Amino acid sequence: MNCQETIYRMTDLLDKEQGPKAELVREHLANCPACRVRFEEHEHIFESVRRARRIAASHQFGAKTMKAIANEAALEATTTGKFWHLQGWRRWAVAACATAQLIFLLPSLAPHFGGRRSASAVLAQSIEAMSNVQTIHMTGRMRTIPGDNFELIGAEYDFVPLELWREYNPSRWRVEKPGRVVVMDGTSSTLYISQLNQYMKASTQAGFVEWLRPLLNPESILQNELDSTKMKPSDATVTESNGNVTLTVRRKAEGSFANTWTKNKSIDESDHTCIYKFDSATKRLQALQVVIHTGSQDVPVLELNDIRYNETPPDKLFALQIPEGATQIIAPEQMSSAVDAILGPKDAAEYFFNALAQKDWNAVLGVYPTSTVPDLVKSYYGGLSILSIGVPFKSGIYAGYFVPYRIRLYDGTVISHNLAVRNDNPQKRWVVDGGF
Amino acid sequence: MLAMAQQIPAWPQTIEQFERLVEATQDDLVNFAFHQLGNQDDAEDAVQDVYVQAYRDRSKRQRITEVRPYLFRMVRNRCTDFHRSRLRRPAEPVTDLVASNEDTFSRVAAQEQSKELDRLLGGIPSREAEVIRLRAHSELSFAEIAIVVGASVPTVKSRFRYGLDKLRRTLRAKGGTR
Repeated sequence: MNCQETIYRMTDLLDKEQGPKAELVREHLANCPACRVRFEEHEHIFESVRRARRIAASHQFGAKTMKAIANEAALEATTTGKFWHLQGWRRWAVAACATAQLIFLLPSLAPHFGGRRSASAVLAQSIEAMSNVQTIHMTGRMRTIPGDNFELIGAEYDFVPLELWREYNPSRWRVEKPGRVVVMDGTSSTLYISQLNQYMKASTQAGFVEWLRPLLNPESILQNELDSTKMKPSDATVTESNGNVTLTVRRKAEGSFANTWTKNKSIDESDHTCIYKFDSATKRLQALQVVIHTGSQDVPVLELNDIRYNETPPDKLFALQIPEGATQIIAPEQMSSAVDAILGPKDAAEYFFNALAQKDWNAVLGVYPTSTVPDLVKSYYGGLSILSIGVPFKSGIYAGYFVPYRIRLYDGTVISHNLAVRNDNPQKRWVVDGGF
Repeated sequence: MLAMAQQIPAWPQTIEQFERLVEATQDDLVNFAFHQLGNQDDAEDAVQDVYVQAYRDRSKRQRITEVRPYLFRMVRNRCTDFHRSRLRRPAEPVTDLVASNEDTFSRVAAQEQSKELDRLLGGIPSREAEVIRLRAHSELSFAEIAIVVGASVPTVKSRFRYGLDKLRRTLRAKGGTR
């Protein structure tokens, strides 16, 4: 190799990987002082440039960029409507939109993450991860009364176990606590209350599980949180530690509390904090805790600490067997004995208790929406005496009224409580909804 | 960082993969864009635009295996667009922007050297300085740089060599290369 070719090829020695003629170049350099000096000067300049300080991306750059990418993902999801018939895409799209909105609400999150790791990226990834799961199995506990509705919580109640299953293909779910279970088998929802041996069938969209419903679509949790128009940036924080990303959302109680009867009796009607914990590695929801703030104390009322994904639930989980003899809870429009002459909530309460006092079970069915009156109701309330019926009131977000009452049971026991009655059905029929 | 940068087997398709890509390449791309635009804000804007574009086009780019050079190429094109659409602002002094945890004396010395190198590189044709910086700062091979600048490998090598020769002559005129 001569000097001219060596000068032409000495650049190869400064490439990332040296070519086949590198050895020939080195041989020439070893024997030619002029070329060697020239190469050493090239090498020195190159090394100087290589060692020189470089511009680095600013501290916030990574977080800002991932936020922009998350926004792009949300925009893309909302504009690819033609793909929405595919369940996975729809789940991802809804979730991505929620993430993007949440990211806008969380403008100052980056510092919580240290370095360049961005909250937006973590949340967006969790959305992706949650959108891809096939089944979810959540186990936890809730402060409530066994057998009562899934909405009821109370700081003074003991914890009862709670379990939720969700399958996406086919779409089925089951929510259960002692005394009450709801199964959605893909075609309808069935509620069964074992204590009263009562059941109710309704559409797949029936609201039997109230506040817990969004948990059956975990990828929509963020959307659910965003649905509150009262949410402000200060209401939500994201932190990361010990392999977990924690999203904490504080919410004020919803509803009107001129009368505080329902205050702190459901999660929505309590000042509360939801603490969602996502696994940093899998990006999936790992745990949820809800703490209500009663003014005097902060009480955890719901805890889901064991959340498993992609287990294969047995089919029988989604096939609820209703025992023979169970009475059916029916919709107001299906009530054959409905009393359309009832004028208001107090009238409905008086009618109901009078019917129980007289053990006129057909009359009871005029305001109590079941196929037959359960034996437990007959034996417990039959023959009661009315001591007083007060002025109806509204409280919280309940659509109906509460009617204060005082009754003496046949065995002498005196009960003071509020009967829940409502007429928010198409026929405007007054029906007894609870509170006894 | 460089080890991570070399572990990008294909165009990322998920947000998590993009986060890793950003983490692995952001400094090199911003540094490259800075030397194209002379301004850190513009450089970061350009690079961010490129990442978003890379995400937007991820499905049609999924067959691309040379991810890093293509990103540099996208940044280069974006910088060209910036040049066309904006009046170039004065370059910020490099020394105010570099981060360091070294002692003051070393830092000042290094900053002086950086400033001097910037001045020297600013004195040779930009296409030659560009290739030298890409090879020195971004750990791209000449073949990869050819993808970035849209030229043949021999052309890239020639620019590199001519650039070093000019720097060598300048330094010699100043009294030595060492």
